[in-house]
Amino acid sequence: MLMPPTRATLPLQEILELSLLAGLLVHQSGGDTARTSATIRRMALALGASRADTVVSSLNIGVTVEQDKLRETAFRKAPHMGANFTMLTAVARLVEAVEEQRIDADTARAQLDEIVRQPHFYPHWLIAMLVGVSCGGFAALFGGDTVAIACTTLGSGTGMALRLFLHRRHYVPFMFAMASSLTAMLVTGLLLKLVHSGTQEAAMAASVLFLIPGVPFINGAADLFHANYLNGMVRIMMGVLFVIGIAVGVSLALRIL
Amino acid sequence: MNAWLLELWAAPAALGFALLFNVPPRSLVACCTLAVLGHASRKAVVDLGGDIVLGTLIGGVVIGITAEWWAKRHHMIPTVYSISAAIPMVPGTFMYKAVQGLLGIATLSRLPAGMAQDSAQQLLTDASINAVKASMILMALAFGIAAPILFLPHRRD
Repeated sequence: MLMPPTRATLPLQEILELSLLAGLLVHQSGGDTARTSATIRRMALALGASRADTVVSSLNIGVTVEQDKLRETAFRKAPHMGANFTMLTAVARLVEAVEEQRIDADTARAQLDEIVRQPHFYPHWLIAMLVGVSCGGFAALFGGDTVAIACTTLGSGTGMALRLFLHRRHYVPFMFAMASSLTAMLVTGLLLKLVHSGTQEAAMAASVLFLIPGVPFINGAADLFHANYLNGMVRIMMGVLFVIGIAVGVSLALRIL
Repeated sequence: MNAWLLELWAAPAALGFALLFNVPPRSLVACCTLAVLGHASRKAVVDLGGDIVLGTLIGGVVIGITAEWWAKRHHMIPTVYSISAAIPMVPGTFMYKAVQGLLGIATLSRLPAGMAQDSAQQLLTDASINAVKASMILMALAFGIAAPILFLPHRRD
C-alpha cells in the first residue's frame, strides 16, 4: 500500500521507531498478538513505509519496514506489565488519527510520549478497596449472606493490598499469587470464626477470586483463535502457573484454618 | 433477597477488576452493565432448564457481541469492556471445592487403611467432578467472549 508522496519524506528510522513504540505499548498494556502486530503494521504504513513485517513473541517484538528497496529492522524487549486499558485505547485512537492523516509524525511522537508518562487513573488504596468489594460481590453471587459478604470484602481487600505491594517489589507472579491467596483466605477464614455465617463456603470460595488471571486467559484464547498458537499457549501457561500458585496458597490456608 | 436482584452484584464484582485494569473512567458504567447483562443471561438460561455450561457460553456470547458493538460505536477496544464483564462468571465455587477435595486426599494418611481407601475414592470423585465442571465453564466463557473473532471473517497477515 503506497502512501501519498508528501508522507514519504519521513526517514525510515523514524517510521521504525514510532511504529515499534506504538506496538510495544499495545503489547505491554494487554493487547493480544493480532492487535500488536496490526498496530505496528498500520502505523508503519500510515507513516509512509511501503511494507512492514512484524515478529511478536511473548517477550520480544520486532519489525522490518521497507521503503524503495531500503530496509530497517529493530527488536525490542517487551516484558509483561499488567493490563492498562487506558493506554491500549489511547494508542488505538492515535493509530487511527495517523491513518486518517489528522496528525503528523511529530504530533504522534509527542502523544506517544505523553501516553507513556500518563499515570494510572486510580490510586492503589482505591483499587485494593474496590477489589475487596468485588470479591464481596462474588460471595453474594455464590449465595452468601451479609456477614459472608463483609468478611470476604475485608479478606480480599487485604490480599489485594499485599498483591499490589509484592508486585511493586518485583516478586515473581507465582509468589505473589501464593502469598496473596494465603493472606486473603486466612483473613476471611479467621473473621468467619469470630462472627457466625451460615454460608462460609461462599465466602471462602470468593475470597481468592481477585487473583484470577483473566487477561492472560482471554488474550490466550483470542491468540489461539487468531492462529497465533505459540503466543496463545504461552499466555495460557502463564495463567495456569498463576492458578497453581493460588491453589497452593489456598491449600496452605485451609490446613491452618 | 430476590434472585434476580442478586444479579446486580455482578456490577461491583466487575468494577474492582475494571479499576485494576485501568479502564478509562467513562467506560466503567458500560463494564458494569455488561457484567450484569452477561450474568443475568446465564441465570435466564439456567432457569429455562439449561445447564450452567450452556448458560455460561450464552452469557459469554452476549458479552462478546455487545462489547464488539459498543466498541465500534465509541471507537474503543472490545476487550476493555468484555474482560472485566466476563469475570463475575468465573466458577469460583467449583474451583474451590476441587482444591478442597485434593487437599482432603493429601491429608488422608491419618485414617486407617481401609477407610482411607474409601474416602480417597469419594474425595477424588468429588474433586474431579468439580474440576471438570470448572474447566468446562471457563472454556465456555473463553469461547463466548471470542465469539466475534470466530464469527467475523479475518484476513491472515
